[in-house]
Amino acid sequence: MHTIRFTVLALACFATSYAFAHHSFAAEFLGDQTRTIEGTVTEVWFKNPHVRYYIEVTNEDGDQESWDVRTGSPTLLVRRGWTQDTIREGDKIKVTGFLGRDGRKLLSVINIVLPDGTVLGQEGY
Amino acid sequence: MRFLLLTLALAMGQAIANPALEGEWMLQIDATGAPLSGLLQLERDGEEWRAFVEGGPAPVTVDENTVVVDIDSRDLRGFVFIIRLKGELQDDRLQGTFTIHSDAQIRMAPSTWSASRYEKIPRSSEPDPVDISGIWTPAPGIDIRKYSMDLTPAAEEWHAGYLMHYDQPNVRCISPGITAMVAWGGYPFEILDSAGRLTFLYEVDSEVRRIFLDGREAPEFYPGSGMGFSTGRWEGRDLVIQTSHLEPNVRDFRGEPVSENARLEEIYSLSDDGQTLSAVITLYDPDNYKRPPIRRRAWTRNPDTDIYPYECDPDSFFRQMYNEGKLEMYFERSRRRN
Repeated sequence: MHTIRFTVLALACFATSYAFAHHSFAAEFLGDQTRTIEGTVTEVWFKNPHVRYYIEVTNEDGDQESWDVRTGSPTLLVRRGWTQDTIREGDKIKVTGFLGRDGRKLLSVINIVLPDGTVLGQEGY
Repeated sequence: MRFLLLTLALAMGQAIANPALEGEWMLQIDATGAPLSGLLQLERDGEEWRAFVEGGPAPVTVDENTVVVDIDSRDLRGFVFIIRLKGELQDDRLQGTFTIHSDAQIRMAPSTWSASRYEKIPRSSEPDPVDISGIWTPAPGIDIRKYSMDLTPAAEEWHAGYLMHYDQPNVRCISPGITAMVAWGGYPFEILDSAGRLTFLYEVDSEVRRIFLDGREAPEFYPGSGMGFSTGRWEGRDLVIQTSHLEPNVRDFRGEPVSENARLEEIYSLSDDGQTLSAVITLYDPDNYKRPPIRRRAWTRNPDTDIYPYECDPDSFFRQMYNEGKLEMYFERSRRRN
């Protein structure tokens, strides 16, 4: 497991430039506003054109809200060792990402901290 | 005569533009990592100067030997920025520095640029095929990614109603079309060489193209598609591909249209060491563009890479539309996608 996680970490640190190479990230996300959320993964959707994780988050008012967290295409992620099993339903994770436009609960991943402290990075530039 | 006019104007204390600036120039922008290249056209209409880069308009000011050109470009994420070239004509060569201007954080750093007179290099009519078979991965740089083009009034009208993201075909797993896809980075592609044809297998969207080299024409009633119908011929060591029978689509992230009457020309060149494949890609679509848009790409030979399958499911697109209450809006716009 450690080997897999190390591979994920090491490979995620480079060659991430093309995560958004095939559609406009700028159309959906703010490139200058980021946010960090912590919560429980309720759904994993590991398919092209984009991977999606739904995260259940408790907000400042104590209410539950669902965030739609996006990464690049799995075809590119799996080359870096980031597979369908890297993040699973029920995992408690911390996600930092670019905010969706128009106040939507949408994040484009910059990095994800897994339960064991491993950091998965995705620069997205 | 030009020299006399310029000398006369300077003697009268008036700064006028040096007419020698007019013409076609081959740009080299010394971007971080890898240089960018493109065609710069400087034109004069009376006292008014116009500039076009890769076929798209670029605001320009000219003062004696100094030229300032603003090129709108985009990064891989789709954020638009301006490359502001400022330079001077010296010894029939343009050179200077550039700065970057954008509300978004852009990784391209200010540096230098130059331009020499563009001279079309004649290609041999004698075919001298080279081996371009194998797997190719995108190389950085080269393409300026000029964002806006010189649209016809009809294209301007259509584009005014374009909704970025919601109207982009490939976010819902529809072919992005060869015009957009051939210029994208990120994914490898493979070329298979067999008798009378080349086959291009793209990883992204698992697209397939057959490039017929045997002189055939498209069958009658051949349907339009994202990849179209392609024929090729070798001119010396260069492969020239012409593609027709395209489905209406968009050219790039901005959403400028590509019509069913468009023709795409790609000219592929292999480096002497056989390790770099480069292409100049020109879209001829007079329904939508007053000047043909140009893109440039390069790939590196990479036999250690595999082409992965690319299964695509539009669920993430429609789920988001559903969650945001926009499905009705999406279907009301179906006519635009027909």
